[in-house]
Amino acid sequence: MKKQIILLLLLIIAVTSCEKDDICIDAVTPNLIIRFYKDTIPTELKNVQLDSVWAINKSKLSNYKGIETDSIAIPLNLNENSTKYILENNTVKDTIEFTYTRSDVFVSRSCGYKTIFNDFQIDSNTNNWIKSITINNTTITNEKAAHINIYH
Amino acid sequence: MKKLHILIFIISSFFGVQSYAQQSSDTIKKQELYGIRVGIDINKPITTFFDNENKGLEIVGDIRILNNYYLATEIGNITKTTNEDYINFTTKGSYIKVGFNYNAYKNWIGMRNEIYVGIRYGISFFNQTLNNYTPNSNGTYFNNIPIENGTKFSSLTAQWYALVFGMKVETLKNLYLGTSVSFNKMISTKEPENFKNLYVPGFNRVFLNNSGVSFNYTLSYLIPIIKKKK
Repeated sequence: MKKQIILLLLLIIAVTSCEKDDICIDAVTPNLIIRFYKDTIPTELKNVQLDSVWAINKSKLSNYKGIETDSIAIPLNLNENSTKYILENNTVKDTIEFTYTRSDVFVSRSCGYKTIFNDFQIDSNTNNWIKSITINNTTITNEKAAHINIYH
Repeated sequence: MKKLHILIFIISSFFGVQSYAQQSSDTIKKQELYGIRVGIDINKPITTFFDNENKGLEIVGDIRILNNYYLATEIGNITKTTNEDYINFTTKGSYIKVGFNYNAYKNWIGMRNEIYVGIRYGISFFNQTLNNYTPNSNGTYFNNIPIENGTKFSSLTAQWYALVFGMKVETLKNLYLGTSVSFNKMISTKEPENFKNLYVPGFNRVFLNNSGVSFNYTLSYLIPIIKKKK
């Protein structure tokens, strides 16, 4: 009986101690997803030659340096209710300022809280290479679809 | 002699060696003690002494109701701050666990030690204070500033059941040293809004599958009430 108890004890310790909820695997704060479309045929995706993308007063985003793409995912500033981005296409710069309100939603022990964005708007933008911008959804909760379309 | 017995008991319980008792016809009369045993968890006051953020007290008690069956309870109060990667919170509350222990250890004549299995029902009343959190985003392009929150989630409850394994050794007359491990499984909880009960007093850390493990190390004293000759 005693032996069985000790064996059972070791078995239960072995089984329960292996559980991991220390690693965050859930989706956290979504990035802003932008897709680029053709100005003349608004349903057709059109690649853009990005020299660099950066938020004002910040360094250039390392994964969008000198690449050709039809979509980008960029983080929004969680310390303020607005983020100003500069998109450089073939040495031509355009500035877009996004405004939003933030609310924090609990995810899990290891992930903590994620931020979701409401009342998402474009406060101002320049039109040097960008022709127009449309917002698909004013609420940003996930990264499943594009949040804004840029026509150029 | 008693010391030797205790030593053999400890050694045999670790290695599972079946020692052979002397079946001599000596004159020790087999006496069964029935009484109330009360004690405290000696681990929690030590933790309290060294750690300002974590405080705890647990009182344990049991009553022998049948030959090998004991009615058992643990009552406690805990204040604990948990620090995770993105959140920091403090849990404060009280709990009570009640259940039975079955002593599976066959004592030698005159000894009163226990290796037992038990079941418990536990209930806890507590509150959680979210001290601060840092919104979690992929990457560190913007350095997210921690938000000092301080929201207090009050009148939370949790209920669970547990499987207990433990042992008690009589070291001095009627004075017992004990240790036990408890495997807890949540039945129901009242969860805070936009947060989660990640720690529950008495239950300990709540794992993803709503299970938990808790330990105690006890020092208890047996108040004899009835002496029965067998």
